[in-house]
Amino acid sequence: MADNPVTQQLFDMWKKQVDEGTQAWLKMAGQGQAPDPQAFWRPFMDQGMQAWSKVMTQGTASPDLMAQWKQFLDQWIAAWSKVLEQAMGTENFAQAMGKQLEGFLNVSAPVKKAAEQHVEAGLATLGLPSRTQVIGLSKQIAALEDKIESVEDRIDAVLARLDRMTAASKKERE
Amino acid sequence: MKDELFTMTPEMPAMSAEMLARWQEELRRNSLRMKHFSEMIMNPKEPEVGPTPREEIYRKGKSRLWRYASKRTFKTPLLFVPNLGISRPYIFDLMHNGSFIEHMTEMGFDFYLVDWGVFGPEDNDLTLEYVVTKILPRLARKALESSGAKEMSVLGYCMGAPLSLSWLGSTPEFPVKNYIDMAGPIDFSQVGLFGLWLDARYFDADKYVDTLGAIPADMVKMGFKLLKPTMDLSTSISLWWNLWNPDYVAGFNALNKWANEYLPFPGEFFRQWVKEYYQQNRMFKGELTMAGRPVRLGSIRCPVLAVGAKEDNIAPPGCVRPLIGAVSSTDKEYVELPGGHISLIAGRGASVHCWPKVSSWLAARS
Repeated sequence: MADNPVTQQLFDMWKKQVDEGTQAWLKMAGQGQAPDPQAFWRPFMDQGMQAWSKVMTQGTASPDLMAQWKQFLDQWIAAWSKVLEQAMGTENFAQAMGKQLEGFLNVSAPVKKAAEQHVEAGLATLGLPSRTQVIGLSKQIAALEDKIESVEDRIDAVLARLDRMTAASKKERE
Repeated sequence: MKDELFTMTPEMPAMSAEMLARWQEELRRNSLRMKHFSEMIMNPKEPEVGPTPREEIYRKGKSRLWRYASKRTFKTPLLFVPNLGISRPYIFDLMHNGSFIEHMTEMGFDFYLVDWGVFGPEDNDLTLEYVVTKILPRLARKALESSGAKEMSVLGYCMGAPLSLSWLGSTPEFPVKNYIDMAGPIDFSQVGLFGLWLDARYFDADKYVDTLGAIPADMVKMGFKLLKPTMDLSTSISLWWNLWNPDYVAGFNALNKWANEYLPFPGEFFRQWVKEYYQQNRMFKGELTMAGRPVRLGSIRCPVLAVGAKEDNIAPPGCVRPLIGAVSSTDKEYVELPGGHISLIAGRGASVHCWPKVSSWLAARS
């Protein structure tokens, strides 16, 4: 927590607002309404400005003001991070995000398919290999690499066996 | 300059010598802030990352096995298995005096890194099972061959932990001497926000993969940014605050380069990763199979160290700790260290808390 009484006082004032804001946020999330980020952030921006003016009007200016302000901002961000984490950790948020992403997929799927078909047709007209063909070639190379590795493994196994046999026969001779 | 700026006049309140000195320091810092800021904007320099010398030992597809230069005073080599996709592995060797790999090699470990590579559309059919049963065992065998050792230690970081445990849990015959899990999720029922967002009720992994083919880097970036929406703001404020310090600026540039290089996920890999690990928690429940072989965490009997990070929101301590109960090892330990998912292994805090703990634990067993 803050070392300085001024910072502490400001932090307490701000914390009260965060608590109230969190309640409002969670209430909104619980009701499944679309949250209004502007309405949510405005009180905190106002609070920040008030805090800044208060700091500026107090006594002799000192370079510590900057450090206090930085400390205040750090606490502000840390507490906000917690608030957001709480809000994003709700079932409602996960559900809303899932729906939004699904909506994106529903829109992008036909667009992507149409774009791919157009590009393939264009490349075919120009006599150039399509992306699908290049990918197919790459997969064939990967499959070949696998086969070579499997042959390599077998050769290694045979060589290891030969080594063992040679060692055994050498031992027998001795 | 001092006289011009701070000439005492009857109108100005008296200023002590100490206050004057502090103002001067503040002004000096501000001028340095402006200087470094203009340099970053007008003349940005590409940060040099990955300072530790290394050689490529083997390459399979896009994945590479790197061996780092070291005195190799410990006879047991160490295989480092990081996450696949998401980000590049140079974070572990970010910069001189700020590198986990540099620390480990200076300690004398024979350090091998699995670099999964950058996957493209041609890799969309790459499955997690192929990674665990073909790529990883092969790279591990090549590391063993090149070191000349009979056993090796394995360190899984982040996703690298469940991947390497799925491999070791299905091949108990592999000669693993020690195992370290750093911030690697084991019990996916405790995995936090990602666990909730990827829940089968809200996230249709099949639809994603069938529609997009792969998970694009921008989408991966969006997911991670959403996990901590205030991160960019706090990073910018910290940058401004420390912008006067050239060492901080150098570190920031290197970290910032890494933090903005997200990597895509191969489609089939992502499908299996989300469904079998996040949604069904099959590895921890003992229901996972790899190439027809059951994955049994209980078959792991070597010494095990699990390291959780207190402020980790990607793999919270609650999902890392259960490894200790799941393995059959008698020599096992769980430690929870300060930091987040990245700062556990990279940065100044890591060099104080995590690196010495990991290297001393391993040194005693290597």
